[in-house]
Amino acid sequence: MSDFLLEMKNISKSFSGVKALDRIHLEVRRGECVGLCGENGAGKSTLMKVLSAVYPYGSWEGEILWEGRELKASSIRETEKAGIAIIHQELMMVPHLSVAENIFLGSEISNHGFLDYDAMNARAQELLAKLNVHDINPALPVLNYSGGKQQLIEIAKALNKNAKLLILDEPTSALTATEIRTLLDLIKGLKAEGLACVYISHKLEEVAEISDTVTVIRDGTHIGTRPIGELTTAGIVTMMVGREMKNLYPKEDHDIGEVVLEARNISCWDVTNPERKVVDDVSFKIRKGEILGIAGLVGAGRTELVSTLFGAYHGTHKGSAYLEGKEITIRSPRDAVKAGICMVPEDRKRSGILPIIGVGHNMTISVLNRFAAFGLIDEHEELAQIQGEILRLKIKTADPMLPIASLSGGNQQKAVLSKMMLPDPRILILDEPTRGVDVGAKYEIYKLIFALAKAGVAVLMVSSELTEVLGISDRVLVIGEGRLRGDFVNDNLTQEHVLAAALGQTTQMA
Amino acid sequence: MANINLRKFLSENKIVALLIVVCLIWALFGYLTFNTDTGVSGFLTARNFSNLLRQMAITGILAAAMVFVIVAGEIDLSVGSLLGLLGGIAAILDAVYGWPLAGTISFVLLAGAALGLMNGWLTAYLGIPSFIVTLGGQLAFRGSVLGLTGGITIAPVSPSLRYIGQGYLPGWLGNGCAIALFVLLLFMAFRTRRKRLQHSLRVPTPVMEATRLVGIGILILGFVLVLNSYQGIPVPVLVLLFVLGIFTIIAKGTVFGRYIYAVGSNAEATRLSGVNVNLVKMVVFGLMGVMAALAGLTTTARLAAGTPSAGFGGELDAIASCFIGGTSMRGGVGSVIGALVGALIMASLDNGMSMLGVDTFWQQIIKGIILVIAVYLDIISSGVKRL
Repeated sequence: MSDFLLEMKNISKSFSGVKALDRIHLEVRRGECVGLCGENGAGKSTLMKVLSAVYPYGSWEGEILWEGRELKASSIRETEKAGIAIIHQELMMVPHLSVAENIFLGSEISNHGFLDYDAMNARAQELLAKLNVHDINPALPVLNYSGGKQQLIEIAKALNKNAKLLILDEPTSALTATEIRTLLDLIKGLKAEGLACVYISHKLEEVAEISDTVTVIRDGTHIGTRPIGELTTAGIVTMMVGREMKNLYPKEDHDIGEVVLEARNISCWDVTNPERKVVDDVSFKIRKGEILGIAGLVGAGRTELVSTLFGAYHGTHKGSAYLEGKEITIRSPRDAVKAGICMVPEDRKRSGILPIIGVGHNMTISVLNRFAAFGLIDEHEELAQIQGEILRLKIKTADPMLPIASLSGGNQQKAVLSKMMLPDPRILILDEPTRGVDVGAKYEIYKLIFALAKAGVAVLMVSSELTEVLGISDRVLVIGEGRLRGDFVNDNLTQEHVLAAALGQTTQMA
Repeated sequence: MANINLRKFLSENKIVALLIVVCLIWALFGYLTFNTDTGVSGFLTARNFSNLLRQMAITGILAAAMVFVIVAGEIDLSVGSLLGLLGGIAAILDAVYGWPLAGTISFVLLAGAALGLMNGWLTAYLGIPSFIVTLGGQLAFRGSVLGLTGGITIAPVSPSLRYIGQGYLPGWLGNGCAIALFVLLLFMAFRTRRKRLQHSLRVPTPVMEATRLVGIGILILGFVLVLNSYQGIPVPVLVLLFVLGIFTIIAKGTVFGRYIYAVGSNAEATRLSGVNVNLVKMVVFGLMGVMAALAGLTTTARLAAGTPSAGFGGELDAIASCFIGGTSMRGGVGSVIGALVGALIMASLDNGMSMLGVDTFWQQIIKGIILVIAVYLDIISSGVKRL
């Protein structure tokens, strides 16, 4: 009898002849947290899908031992019953059902076929209390709670199913800093009680904090498993990319020119709650060839601010914009693109890609008229441009006509960037340009940003990763609770400075 | 392995799979209507082929535009009633007021465009779901035609209008059209080849290209010869072929067509790419209106009268044709040729079963079952579940 809770041995899985996993192994002890790292497309999600029987026994090779015995599950129901719970990057909640209803979805407490709400609410309360969460009302619909709270509800749901192993796939990508703190502390507490977990994240600081061992996979192969004590985050990065990443930010000199865009007194009100102001009287200027970073906590109003400039904000808003000194009115993204303002939106899946359309056609959608005479597209001219872009941006795709949804996150993002670069914008707004993108693709995206700045494009970048904002911006705006809380030249600026400003602790700085 | 390859081939060439289904249906009816005394099968005659195509023309015209509506993520339930209304207006203008044909046609087409655009405006700009808008339209348009005609049949319409629905092209003109079409295809093939080489893109081998062109040539030739051996190409079929050509070009070759598919794939992302999504949707409904007008004119011409019940249920036939032809309910996917083959399948079933003397109620039951099976086959052949 081994002391492992889970042993995955020599797991291989192919998709139509292409090996996605090649003899991977992963071991988890009771009460241990294993960090699973790898670039996007390395095979982490595939491995977890093998484990949770999304790919049933028989569709892959190798062996899974669960509590010492071989696990041959053919459905998620069976793995859940065994005690494996998976919490996906995108939360699987039914927004209009109550917290308790969500927790008990599929395992409702009933009395002769009628739901026993009192029992479910009480038990939900109990589960949440165990997680040290006291400000969630189990009878209210889930949509009343933020992403962070919903994450906790998911964990409560897993606990209800007596999970022994919790798989967390990028759990913090949509959480605020405080929510992340709560989550990490909670996981530590659960670990102490004997719960094992697999923690998948691109945020290596979190992995380092919470894991006991780290397993790195790359291109479907096992690169190494080491105790966290023997590793540094830089070491993990090296293992992930297979080469040393000396400089994460390929800074290049670029000239900064005249003011190209000035935003004056921008205010926005919440879409669903029109009483609430989400952006409060923000004004700023951006110059030709300048990279202006916008930092702040999630929910500070940064996305609302930039989408208002792009004419895409759905709620009430006011303010004015001046392009090279002349006032412009932008009522729609169409007006913005015409004026030379382009935006790569935050949520790639929801508002960036046209999923079932080819990669190439995704890239040219904004500039189709360039290839057209009398409305008829010259496909060949278009294809020639697409192939040029694919080479230039190093987009990995077997065929430019392949649906974009079949590409990895990094390649999708590069295609979306290409779409918004083709109209030759004077101002390019990037909202979280590297979210869900692997290290290698990140580096290439930074290089593109610098190339754009060199060419005289003003780049306005919203990012929640402070190291990224500080790594590439010339100037940093800090937004906190909808207000402009700081405007710093990025010279000896530290994360502490920015964070303090975002939290409103110091209003005058630098 | 062979099984997987076949499946892959069929899912990538849906149209081939659909044509195989058509052949199977024809073979079945050919067998069932075989007359041992005369040695011919009633279904597989030039005369019946001609009838069959004329029957499908009206549904086909509607289905061609319906594909765009569904691809854009919307639905139009009003086209059957709109067809009735516009057909009724055509009959009144022609039979009661004696308008010249050109005047009647232009007026009806414009009215169709206007009513279609109105549906589109309500959907795209006012944000009322198209299901509701066009359900309302279905009632309102049917009511209007009842009011306009007073519930009676308007007849007789002029011979020139009748020609649109009942006429045939003379043989020499049919041959001329076929030759012109083939020359056009040849020219396009050479042009594509030259352009692709210019941009150093891959081109098929000359042998493959030649085989394809010869195949298409034989198909066109066979089509025209069969129809000419009866009375010639029926005018509504010619109209349908024109519609097919134009709509296919719109879908595959134009900026507007690309926008329709983009809107259906992800409307928000399309809007953020600087495309006027509302305008695209409105124009799609406008096109649908124009096609309803064309179908209305053809119906009135074919019946030689305007009847208040014309086009009843037409929207469902058109929608069913789209789905049989592989259009996705979720939008973003669908082809005009697929929808027309879908219409051909529906028309073949109608025609064959009527010929066999199957009761109307059985015909409806069988068509309903076939619709569900066809979509299911499409789901398993593409290997993904559509919601």
